[in-house]
Amino acid sequence: MENSGDEKAPLFKSWTYWYILVLAILVLLIGLFYLFTKKYA
Amino acid sequence: MSWQDWIILIGTLTIIILYGLHKSNIRKNLDSYFLCDRSLPWWVILISIMGTQASAVTFLSAPGQAFTDGMRFVQYYFGLPIAMVVLCISFVPAFHRLKIYTAYEFLEQRFDLKTRTLTSFLFLLQRGLSTGISISAPSIILSSLLGWDIFWTNIFMGGLLIVYTVTGGARAVASTQQIQFIIIFIGMMLAGYTVMHLLPGQIGFSEALHIGGKAGKLNVITTGFTKKGFDWNDRYNLISGTIGGFFLALSYFGTDQSQVGRYLTASSEKESKLGLLMNGIIKIPMQFLILLIGVLVYVFYQFHPEPIFFNQTQIHILEKSKYADSLVLLRNQYQRNETERIGAMNGISGSDKSSLNYQRALEHLRITEQNKDQQRGTIKRWLQDKEIGGDANDTNYIFLRFVVDYLPKGLIGLLIAVIFLAAWGSIGAALNSLAAATIVDFHIRFTKKTLSSKKEYDLSRWYTLLWGIFCVIVAQLAYNIGNSLIEAVNVLGSLFYGVILGIFLVAFYAKKIRGRSVFISAIITELGVVLIHILSQRGLIHLSFLWLNAVGAAGVWVLSWLIQMIVPAKAK
Repeated sequence: MENSGDEKAPLFKSWTYWYILVLAILVLLIGLFYLFTKKYA
Repeated sequence: MSWQDWIILIGTLTIIILYGLHKSNIRKNLDSYFLCDRSLPWWVILISIMGTQASAVTFLSAPGQAFTDGMRFVQYYFGLPIAMVVLCISFVPAFHRLKIYTAYEFLEQRFDLKTRTLTSFLFLLQRGLSTGISISAPSIILSSLLGWDIFWTNIFMGGLLIVYTVTGGARAVASTQQIQFIIIFIGMMLAGYTVMHLLPGQIGFSEALHIGGKAGKLNVITTGFTKKGFDWNDRYNLISGTIGGFFLALSYFGTDQSQVGRYLTASSEKESKLGLLMNGIIKIPMQFLILLIGVLVYVFYQFHPEPIFFNQTQIHILEKSKYADSLVLLRNQYQRNETERIGAMNGISGSDKSSLNYQRALEHLRITEQNKDQQRGTIKRWLQDKEIGGDANDTNYIFLRFVVDYLPKGLIGLLIAVIFLAAWGSIGAALNSLAAATIVDFHIRFTKKTLSSKKEYDLSRWYTLLWGIFCVIVAQLAYNIGNSLIEAVNVLGSLFYGVILGIFLVAFYAKKIRGRSVFISAIITELGVVLIHILSQRGLIHLSFLWLNAVGAAGVWVLSWLIQMIVPAKAK
């Protein structure tokens, strides 16, 4: 998943961790929204 | 509007224009005019891409959408973070490496001139028309609610920003988007706080959520499956939002110059990527909060009389029609029913759930809710009468009607300024990108003599001005189409985005495919997508327009491979 960009990713070792973070937050949000929907349905 | 509202509205818009002009002192070449000398940090990129995506309709339509259909609209954005990741892996590195001005330049390097020209032309066609509609849509709503003249509303909505967009190019657009973002954020937060403040004393935030939830407005996650299986015509559910939304976001952020032009202004590939990834993190919660305001407005109207129809212009049409007498009777019935409904609602929230009074109030509420739905349904039926030819959808009027009727002086002016600023943020970026594609992909590319930097810069300003005038003219002509304009923007995008995305996907991921194959497949697929849309409009097939992006992209991909397999065989 790495690319030819010559700059290192900030905070993490590589951009792959950034991509995982973004997708993990998406999954977390969907999970929280699911619980939110269940609670107030 | 009160004089306080006018002062805040005019003051806010004037500040933005002056700030835009102040930031217009740039070097006179294409790099400065379109790419801010590739100098912006990630957080400016983030604000710029969010400001470009969030048009006036976003803030008008989304709360109304939550009011009528619940919060499930947020699922439309579930594919966006995935698209941001794909962009960062493939698109952004290629665009930065080649030091291009427009995304379509990349296609000439990868395929050939005709593929670049076709794609850039499709972009100009789609973006030019949809920007005109983006001007007209909020103008129609504002002119209807506030009684403003539509001609001048269109001029102010689409014309004033041309001043700083022409003079300052991408830098003026990005600079003003920062101020616009802060004002929009403050305006929406104040609106949310005020709705809560206007609820009866016994209704706190948690109670408001319970009321919204019981009415089915907190349906954030829906699967789209019914007893008959998956509903392909359902636009907003987990599956269509993730898959359809992914293709839509990938094509919009990866191939639409109005967005590509924003992150090409970054000082480095790293800053572009960070801006896009942060957008992937922030966009969904932000949209969730805007929709939540719509639910709170719904709860507010449980305790206050709701208009029989939020678009007063349509009521005025009925007042002059054959339904005029029936309308008077219906309105009287509706007002009596509303008084009873609100009484029942207060009875429920003020009594013990196990008490007899609670049960009676609950039953009475159910009956009055049914009456209300029937009475509003009657208005819609009358408007749909071919003889009347009205607009039966008042979703986009709900939030602003509430703002005008119930918010305090000053805040009304601020929220109308929010609508203008949201429009300006996206229109400014669109004009800048239209000018970039015109000069880079057509004028410079097809002119034989070499132009000086100053000449290119001057021409770019002229093209920005001409596109601005074109979009305002489209807005003036589009007025007659009515409120269906807002849907038209999305449909228009879906007709072209899929095919453009398909060309880019083949460019990035199918290295064996040559220019001629992708060019032929793009034309065939575009015709196919238009045909599918026409069949869908006539009810011969049932497919939501959101899926057209996926169909277009997949069509180009598959056909390119097939044609590529045939073409070399013939060549041999």
